[in-house]
Amino acid sequence: MKRKYIGIERKEARWGFAFTVPAILFFSLFSFYPILNALYTSMFDKRVLSLAAPKFMGFGNYSYIFTSPDFWNSIRATFVFTLGTFLPIVIFSLMLAVFMVNLKSNKVRGFFQIAYYTPAVISSVVAAAIWLIMFDPRGLGNQWLNALLRTPGVDRKWLADATMVQVSTMVVYFWKYIGYFVVLFITGLSAIPPAIYEAATIDGSSKWQAFWRITLPLLKPTVVLVSIMAMLQCLKTFSTQYLFVQGGAPRAPINVITLNIYTTGIRNQRIGRASAMSIVLFLIMLLFTWMQFRFSKSEEVEY
Amino acid sequence: MKKTVLVLIALMLFIAPLAAQGPKEEQGPIVLKYWTHEDPNRTRIEDRYIQEFQAANPNITIERTTQASTKMMELVQTAFAANSGPDIFNISIEDEYQYIVNGRVAPVNPQAAGYKDLKDLLDTYTDGILDPVTLDGNVYGLPLELTNWCIFINKKVFRSAGLDPEKDYPKTWEEMADLSEKLVIRDGDILIRRGFDFRYPYYLVAFLPMVEQLGGQLISDDGKTAIVNEQAWLKFLTFMQQWGPSGRNLGSPTYKNARNLFNKDNNDIAMATTGLYQIGRIRAENPAFYNSKEWMVVPFPVFKDAVQDVAASFYGHYLMVNAQSSKATQDAAWKFIGYMLSHAEEYLTEVSLIQPKKALFASDAYKNIPYSDVFTKDFDRGHIVYYGAASAEFQTLIRSAVESVILSGETPEKALATLKRDAQELLDEQL
Repeated sequence: MKRKYIGIERKEARWGFAFTVPAILFFSLFSFYPILNALYTSMFDKRVLSLAAPKFMGFGNYSYIFTSPDFWNSIRATFVFTLGTFLPIVIFSLMLAVFMVNLKSNKVRGFFQIAYYTPAVISSVVAAAIWLIMFDPRGLGNQWLNALLRTPGVDRKWLADATMVQVSTMVVYFWKYIGYFVVLFITGLSAIPPAIYEAATIDGSSKWQAFWRITLPLLKPTVVLVSIMAMLQCLKTFSTQYLFVQGGAPRAPINVITLNIYTTGIRNQRIGRASAMSIVLFLIMLLFTWMQFRFSKSEEVEY
Repeated sequence: MKKTVLVLIALMLFIAPLAAQGPKEEQGPIVLKYWTHEDPNRTRIEDRYIQEFQAANPNITIERTTQASTKMMELVQTAFAANSGPDIFNISIEDEYQYIVNGRVAPVNPQAAGYKDLKDLLDTYTDGILDPVTLDGNVYGLPLELTNWCIFINKKVFRSAGLDPEKDYPKTWEEMADLSEKLVIRDGDILIRRGFDFRYPYYLVAFLPMVEQLGGQLISDDGKTAIVNEQAWLKFLTFMQQWGPSGRNLGSPTYKNARNLFNKDNNDIAMATTGLYQIGRIRAENPAFYNSKEWMVVPFPVFKDAVQDVAASFYGHYLMVNAQSSKATQDAAWKFIGYMLSHAEEYLTEVSLIQPKKALFASDAYKNIPYSDVFTKDFDRGHIVYYGAASAEFQTLIRSAVESVILSGETPEKALATLKRDAQELLDEQL
């Protein structure tokens, strides 16, 4: 009987697999299983409190949500929030990171890093609660803006107006997450060897040219990473919108998909329908992540 | 390998439903998990009841957990969804009803709760008050409290605006808006002091009765049509539109809760709508204001051209017992509930909670509570809050309609059309 030959690469691969087993088990339990369970549940008319066997609906929940104006409003609210938050976050966090890397004083740089990063470690619920107080008609939001613009007594309707409440949720998210992405960009910028800039300076390049011709191309993997992370965070946004609605803000303008999932599944107890929504959100996130990878064609940069 | 993964996935998918359990049988000491909403005054007396009950029943331990009332609904529901609900809980009846129809709560054991039989239990409570928790001849909950809302008035604020609270208090909603206009203090568009403001999350308790005053209904008598009498709904939505920042700017859901501000007596609210329990809270939070007698309670207003006199709906928090707890635990739970509820007068005098027992309404303790007569008369004018399998969803729809006219600039006609469409669709799903 011929003995099966196992190459050294294959042997190493077995060890590699063994080391990844804990991670696979973790993700299977806390990520893959909930996704598959949601997919399974989305096929049934399942109610949270019912002990009776749920009725099989096939794609009934999906056809319902795709004909529901409420769900399409949630798609709109999610995309408005994502575009309004993710683009400014990526652009401004890159600008701030470049600004901070170029600071000569380490103390000043450290101060800015801490100042920008602090909101990221505050829980989303606390952050939203702080801003809820600031956006109260008698709160600091109106007071500061009116003092700055010399417009006493004007109510900016931070939470009351349909447009303003969307802007308010974006402001909270921007404030909370910008520091986190600044740190990621600083890490990416620090990896670019100074010798490249020195060579460019000798060749007569200006700082502006160095940014567009050296920094940005070499920072591409970090830009892709930050873009994907920021976009996924924005698509998953929940706590800010939830707390604002609890605080009296109108639901419809900020009824993002996650909030709709909560209302449908928990308030209205239709867990099957909520599962269908969560699967749609998952597919949207998967599609956008794939598109970003596909179109950015991220190359590994080696120095 | 692929087969193994597929088998594992299939197993995982089916394990969870199998984990659903029926009543557990339990031997030995009993631990009762009791979840209820925060109320410091009630905590004080219930902690004492727990100590007394445990001393008399050494094999029973009670773990009492409190949460914000706004969080209770979802916490209890999430726990029940995972088949690990508390043994005893209370939430508002419009949310509790689903636990009954879904078989998640156990019927009252009258003997364990201290009654001779079911008839004795029914005779103890005022007529009809156990109807919302009665299904197929079984009673599934005992009322911890029955609440209706009237209007609390700060007399000082009235007088500061040149008004006589005893004479000028609002009898109609139109007067409420006009009085608020006189009482309000603004810094430009910003309200520094409000005359009155609504309790916005509670659309079935206080807003639906306003529609009913005008002849409207949420559901028709035959149960087949939602949003009956569109003219009444339109008038109500127009009133709310005028109330908000885009109308007369008298109030908005985005301002601080009027009921909480009222206790502080900080000259920022003149009137709030709330229940008798507010008296206990004023006394606890601001004794000086309580003792000053600078507050009064008047009936829930009606529209000037109301076709029927309807006060705010009353709602109950019923204590219920988890049907998945063991029989011994269920009996222990009813025994403890019966013990707590046997102190109806103390609940009234210490916490200002009304247990709708015939004896309590006839007692001097009830009659001596300030303004209890106002609440009693409004009980007679009102009815139990709408409850049903989809009450939470109906409330969400009414909320969306009101918010869209107050805050989103939608016309009452458009908001009504959306409400009518969605409510009818929801009702059709129930049929």
